[in-house]
Amino acid sequence: MTEEIKADVLLVDDEEQFLKVLSQRMEGRGLKVDTSTSGEEALEKVKGKDFDAIVLDLAMPGMSGIETLKRIRSEHPDLQIIMLTGHGSVEKGVEAIKAGAVDFLEKPADMNKIMEKISEAKRKRVLLVEKKKEAQVKEILQSKGW
Amino acid sequence: MENKDEEDLKTLQLRFVGKIIAGFTHEIKNYLAIIKESSGLIGDMIKMGKLSEKDIPEYLDIIQSIEDQIGKAIEHFTHLNRFSHRMDTQISSFNLNECMEELIALLNRFARQEKIVLETDFQQDLPPVKSNPSMLQLLVFSFLEKKIAGLEKNGRITVRTGTVDNAVAVKITPEGTFAEGDGDAGTTTGKIRENFIKQLGGNISQGAAKETVITLPVHGV
Repeated sequence: MTEEIKADVLLVDDEEQFLKVLSQRMEGRGLKVDTSTSGEEALEKVKGKDFDAIVLDLAMPGMSGIETLKRIRSEHPDLQIIMLTGHGSVEKGVEAIKAGAVDFLEKPADMNKIMEKISEAKRKRVLLVEKKKEAQVKEILQSKGW
Repeated sequence: MENKDEEDLKTLQLRFVGKIIAGFTHEIKNYLAIIKESSGLIGDMIKMGKLSEKDIPEYLDIIQSIEDQIGKAIEHFTHLNRFSHRMDTQISSFNLNECMEELIALLNRFARQEKIVLETDFQQDLPPVKSNPSMLQLLVFSFLEKKIAGLEKNGRITVRTGTVDNAVAVKITPEGTFAEGDGDAGTTTGKIRENFIKQLGGNISQGAAKETVITLPVHGV
């Protein structure tokens, strides 16, 4: 088994059985996992909670993965989203990266790779949050003229 | 048919086969993804030392889930296999319900992605039909494709089969709001359909609310 990672992850896929087993495996590796079966539900969940990474299925009925990705990124630009795709071609992956995904994996994906990508996403998010805090501190210092 | 029509026919045929294969491979990949994670979960549980008698029901649940996914995959393979072999001979005696069932099963994902429910309502005592099943499937696809694209999300399409005098019928009934028109009489797709139905010796009629009825003579052309 891969090393334990402490991170909050949102897993989004319309296939409930897939969500069930994948979240069980992730939880066994130390992750705290929340799940959504649609893009609409995922948008609601990210409003109320900060996730270190989101693993998002590209092909979902209704609001597609790409549309969900764009909407989450427009409201929460710091969120790190990893796309899961059933498409064999790289075009969809490129489209996802252009729309703001940090990475993409082809289904069925290797668990070690998923964990690796989540770990990278968490690192990026921590850096972004730190930079944001630094910028805020600088702004306060400058405004006070200290 | 003229060159332009032949080109349009080839485009329709390629789009049809493309949609069927894309839908099929996506479904199979999803089943495999669940099987992969389920077997991985069994491995994880063993590595975590979950080996006591009280853990057996959990193992059995996971094994059952793997069996269910394999069952679904086999069913899908059977549909694709039958679909492919329909092209072996042009004219054959076939069961209309089986022919439509495999088509709907293979196109279901395509409809689901658009949030359209595709359902069937078959008359059970239909006589076997002597005709060209591949051509009929392509014809039905050409209507379903338009209706799926035209219906707004949360719509429904029912494919019914039945008998009318000495003919069998496929009735395609959409329910919901149409975002864009699906009437294409006079377009090349319309010409292709006319050509198909002429070769099949049947008839196409449009009912109220964009309902389409295709009839085929039981004993062929």
